[in-house]
Amino acid sequence: MIHLPKQETKTMVAVHGWSGILLGLLLYAVVLTGTAAVFAEEIGAWSAGHVATQSAFERPMADTLRRLGDETPARYREAVDLFETGDHDLGLFFHRHEMDGGELISRGLFYVVGQDGRVIHRQAGTNEDVYGARNDNALSAFLVDTHVRLHVPNPWGLLLTGILGLSMLVAAISGLLIHRHLFKDIFTLRRSGSAVLANRDAHSVAGTWSLPFAFVLAFTGSFFSFFGTVGMPVVAMAAFGGNVQALTEAVYGNPGKPDPRPVAIGNMDRINADAIARAGAIPTFVTIENFGRADAKVTTYHPPKTAAIAPMSLLYDGATAAFLQEKPLIGPKPSAGGTLAAIMSPLHFGNFAGLLSKAIWFGLGFAMCYVTYTGIRLWLVRREGGVRSFAWLERTNMVVGLGLPFALAASAAAFLLAMPLGSATWWTPAGFLTGTALAIGAGALAPDTARLGAWLRSATGALLLVLPPLRLLTGGPGWGAALAAGQPIIVTLDIAFLLAGAWMLWQLRGPVGAPRPSRALQAAE
Amino acid sequence: MTLITLLAILVSAALILLLGLGDPKRRRAARQGQGHGARLRQLLAVGGFLPGLNFILYGDAAAFLLWLGGTAVAGWVVTLVLASRSDPKGVCCEGAKAGKGHN
Repeated sequence: MIHLPKQETKTMVAVHGWSGILLGLLLYAVVLTGTAAVFAEEIGAWSAGHVATQSAFERPMADTLRRLGDETPARYREAVDLFETGDHDLGLFFHRHEMDGGELISRGLFYVVGQDGRVIHRQAGTNEDVYGARNDNALSAFLVDTHVRLHVPNPWGLLLTGILGLSMLVAAISGLLIHRHLFKDIFTLRRSGSAVLANRDAHSVAGTWSLPFAFVLAFTGSFFSFFGTVGMPVVAMAAFGGNVQALTEAVYGNPGKPDPRPVAIGNMDRINADAIARAGAIPTFVTIENFGRADAKVTTYHPPKTAAIAPMSLLYDGATAAFLQEKPLIGPKPSAGGTLAAIMSPLHFGNFAGLLSKAIWFGLGFAMCYVTYTGIRLWLVRREGGVRSFAWLERTNMVVGLGLPFALAASAAAFLLAMPLGSATWWTPAGFLTGTALAIGAGALAPDTARLGAWLRSATGALLLVLPPLRLLTGGPGWGAALAAGQPIIVTLDIAFLLAGAWMLWQLRGPVGAPRPSRALQAAE
Repeated sequence: MTLITLLAILVSAALILLLGLGDPKRRRAARQGQGHGARLRQLLAVGGFLPGLNFILYGDAAAFLLWLGGTAVAGWVVTLVLASRSDPKGVCCEGAKAGKGHN
């Protein structure tokens, strides 16, 4: 592959190792939760027992929208967001945009309309209240929030995950440069004998197979983290005198001559039906600008069409419900920049081709977790017997590497127990912290790392096996009911948890710490 | 589309399996004798890329990405399976080795 001079290779090895060691454990946490969050929507349906399959956008909503528009104070009718919430209920957020401490926020009234067309929830608040965790989505929201910002307040959390993405990019590039036999070694996995050899092979084989996606996921992840925290304010400063709202309107808005004459909103049912027919998919989100005015505009957002990666959005005249155009993500006309920005999300989340793309992205995420974990182990075993002892780091790596899946399983168990009581938003993170404390405690008490690994694996395996029966015992739908309702994902995730738990316990067969003789040729041979 | 993409991933995975089975370095390390010749390995590698090339020619970006990702995961899994057969030391013991001298 790429042959660097010896000194440069040494420098690259140091860059690769230290970038991994300094931020590797946090990176592992971000990648692992991101891997699970690929299935956030499905985990949400599984954990809350959602069995409805008819979308809120397929049900009549035009009269409800007009009625709620009339009931809402005029100051909150600047814009409306429509989206599905709960078990395919309809969420309507009438709001206005305002600046709050230098940050652009939305403030207004949020309504939830149930499947029978009645308003089942009404709340005043900001976008953070509306789109934050609720009792029924606390588990998936917790996973996503951990991945996006590690629960560190904005903008610091996003900046931290952005830096972690950059460090992953640095590790991927330096890894590519230092690996002299990228393709020659792609099938060489010597698992026993020398710890350095076993860990090096494990790290480099998983890293080589997933290398193109390490670039893609690291770059797109950093893009999302820095877009709002650095990119938007810098561009607003340079071109809009620091006015982020003006920048947002210029980039995402629909330019046109303002026409504030009061005109009732057009037939939303007609817009929904037309949008579904044109896009071939149900909208994931709908926005209405200038609600109740002659210049109202409706934008519907859809998943990508077959063979495409970029999501699709359609623009309608809000007053007449007439279709206007297919709308690019950025600006009023298609552009290379707009297309690039539009494909960032599907490339990062793998949500462009249903469950198949999600399953593949899950596999790639898992490979990257493995690369991070084995990379740290490799760094440690290379320093075994040195002047400095890194035993504490070896234990920490194991507590994080194996303790994090345990803590996530504990948060899922806490969610299942707390959701029927209405306190899942508190107990889900509490369950995670309890699991974390137990893993740290095990790390402190275990006589050796072999025992620690066995404890954490067996606890995680047992907890994963418990999740499906716990879901059923706490009122979740049974397999028959889920299948009859057309929700096979509930059954699929139950089976996945049972298999994962059984696999973890199966790995522990045989006495702990009894290495088998190696059949593999060692480096020294 | 899904079925064709899955089929393409399976075809590439099968060729990767053949490549792995005959990989000279893997076979040497596992004391399994010599592997495939360079010509056969090149043919198998080119064959493995053909399904992806097909998606590029048809302009199906989504299927190409799925194929690329799916093949990468399949390649890793094939390597793990081959290693577990030729060098069947389970992960159960890695902690023991790493923990040696740290306690």
